Amino acid sequence: MEQLNAWFVELLSNNDIFTANTLGYYLDGLGNTVSLVFLSLIIGLLLAVPLAIARGSRRKWIKWPIFFYTYVFRGTPLLIQLYMIYYGVVFIEGIQDTFLWAILKEAFYPALIAFTLNTAAYTTEIFHGAIKATPRGEIEAARAYGMSRALMMRRIIMPSAFRRALPAYGNEVIFMLHASAIASVVTIMDLTGAARFVYARFYAPFDAFLFVAAIYLCLTFAILYLFRYLEKKLLAHLKPING
Amino acid sequence: MADTPIPLEVRDITKRFGDTEVLKGLSLKAHKGDVITLIGASGSGKSTFLRCMNLLEQPNEGELIVHGENITFKTTRRGREPADWKQVERIRARLSMVFQNFNLWAHMTLLENVTEAPIHVLGKPKREAVAHARDLLERVGLLDHADYYPAQMSGGQQQRGAIARALAMDPEVMLFDEPTSALDPELVGDVLKVMRDLAEEGRTMIVVTHEMSFARDVSSQVIYLHQGMVEEVGPPKEVLDNPQSDRLKQFLAPKH
Amino acid sequence: MIDLQGYGPRLLEGALVTVEVAVLSLLLALILGLLTASAKLSRNVLLHRLATLYTTLIRGVPDLVLMLLLFFGGQIGVNMITDWLYYQFGVDIFISINEFVAGVVTIGFIFGAYMGETFRGAFMAVDSGQLEAGRAYGMSNRLIFRRIQFPQMMRHALPGLGNNWMVLLKTTALVSVIGLSDMVRIAAEATKATHEPFLFMIPVALIYLLIASVSEWGVARLQKRYNVGFGEADEWNN
Repeated sequence: MEQLNAWFVELLSNNDIFTANTLGYYLDGLGNTVSLVFLSLIIGLLLAVPLAIARGSRRKWIKWPIFFYTYVFRGTPLLIQLYMIYYGVVFIEGIQDTFLWAILKEAFYPALIAFTLNTAAYTTEIFHGAIKATPRGEIEAARAYGMSRALMMRRIIMPSAFRRALPAYGNEVIFMLHASAIASVVTIMDLTGAARFVYARFYAPFDAFLFVAAIYLCLTFAILYLFRYLEKKLLAHLKPING
Repeated sequence: MADTPIPLEVRDITKRFGDTEVLKGLSLKAHKGDVITLIGASGSGKSTFLRCMNLLEQPNEGELIVHGENITFKTTRRGREPADWKQVERIRARLSMVFQNFNLWAHMTLLENVTEAPIHVLGKPKREAVAHARDLLERVGLLDHADYYPAQMSGGQQQRGAIARALAMDPEVMLFDEPTSALDPELVGDVLKVMRDLAEEGRTMIVVTHEMSFARDVSSQVIYLHQGMVEEVGPPKEVLDNPQSDRLKQFLAPKH
Repeated sequence: MIDLQGYGPRLLEGALVTVEVAVLSLLLALILGLLTASAKLSRNVLLHRLATLYTTLIRGVPDLVLMLLLFFGGQIGVNMITDWLYYQFGVDIFISINEFVAGVVTIGFIFGAYMGETFRGAFMAVDSGQLEAGRAYGMSNRLIFRRIQFPQMMRHALPGLGNNWMVLLKTTALVSVIGLSDMVRIAAEATKATHEPFLFMIPVALIYLLIASVSEWGVARLQKRYNVGFGEADEWNN
């Protein structure tokens, strides 16, 4: 441990780029990335569940607007969505007068809104697909036992849909992690923003970008293993049929 | 007569999968017009033996002589392999195979299936190949299905189509690998009829099958395989009506 | 009519750049994808490991980071290689990594990895009996690939490739970040100049949706062609 410490201190003081200072930037950046991704995923998930259920409604006036929303947000680049919300937030009537402005002034929050809306759209479609894929037999059995639609949705369809959606949602989480790098475009100091800053300072593209690439790689693997573990635990009951 | 090479001969064919010896030194001679039926329980090695004849399986030991041409092998790190793949392709073009699962090319029509190999392997001109194909399809009763895709035909029709495809190559020997095993019972008869007609025509055929009626009525020789070795061999009257070994007796006994 | 404040023509030029980047990246990605898939399916361990390393790295690192790395680091890296070539062999060439090249190469490499997976799955989905029949009839490996394996593989690959293309299309927006004048960059410039984000971003979004719709139509047509023979079976199919 002593040796590791000594090596680390030497590394930090001997070179220009990986100094304690810049590592600080990277750490801050990591914090920003993680909070941006985590928050947008959670809020997006909370939005997506009711939207996915409503998306399956037979009433056109409910399902068409939701479909429109998911179609637009999945069919256009995230960067455009980010620009629109980041620059467009100013235009909401009277927003500068409200308390919300204190929050929305920071680049972080429009970005959070854009990312949340984006992931909510993809997640809605993922869950909608999972709900639609519920085996007919399970639904028929629920009906035969006199379950109401709400009860059936809550106790039978949703739990099974969540598990079915796991692989696709795992992919979505990884996509969000990668997409969060775009936040650096609107001057947010996430991991990628830190790398760009360090590059601009020291003109060392490889050091800066390879370093954050490695961090992203580690984060990606962490998420992959997490989801593999979840799939193992939660999809075990499907194994004989699936595997 | 002695100068014309026989269509197909294999000697001492041995095949191992890992440590298990599946074929233990099998030999077979097919003269022109012979209809040889290979019978035996699952796992007796009959399909593997057949597939060694057109080198879809590589025998670890043994010789393969097609129309007098001896296949040359070489030993590599992975085991024994044909030395000249062009030679293999050439002899495969002279031995047509009919598969248990038909294996008609799904993205081509029946007619295209039948003309594909004659055009691209034998280099036949298209017009000639198509004319020949239409004749063959008529023979097997499928001319009106010429433009159908395999998915649009029943199993029996697909298999008859596969036989037409095999005939289109004008093969020395026709190899049949359990041609009726994947068919619904009511469709088996149509395919067997086509095969009987071919046998009566004088085609040289080697057939792996469970259809004892075919073996009895049409073959010139029946070979009973057990665990990779020949238990009994001889004309159908002897082997099927007068089995010597206990195992064969049991194999032939009605299983109700 | 909407007044695009004079940015109209430039936006259209930008749209053209977007399409150019997308199409060239697609070609590169298709080639890399086929190579990667065959590497992963081959028995050669080295090739297999290389391909796996490639796909793992691409799928583990954000597209934007790769693009910045290639754009900022690429020129230096390429210069190092051409310098070495000069000192060793006296070969004097200069390869310029401009924004366009960096964009196309990055996106091409990224989606080469994804398409590699798509192609690999598609090759594996082809029934081996189809290929065996080809061999049994004396077809050479090249003939089998051309007449049987490739057509049937494409049928399985098209849905996945279509998806890959849709994502690729949206990823082209990132080239605006390294300064290439695609339509996103023009729109962003216009927005900053005029403070009218929706005026410029909405048309750009609509153009993306339009290209996406046309692509969907195109992919559907291709699918129809490659699905020949696999349609609904007759009632009395076995």
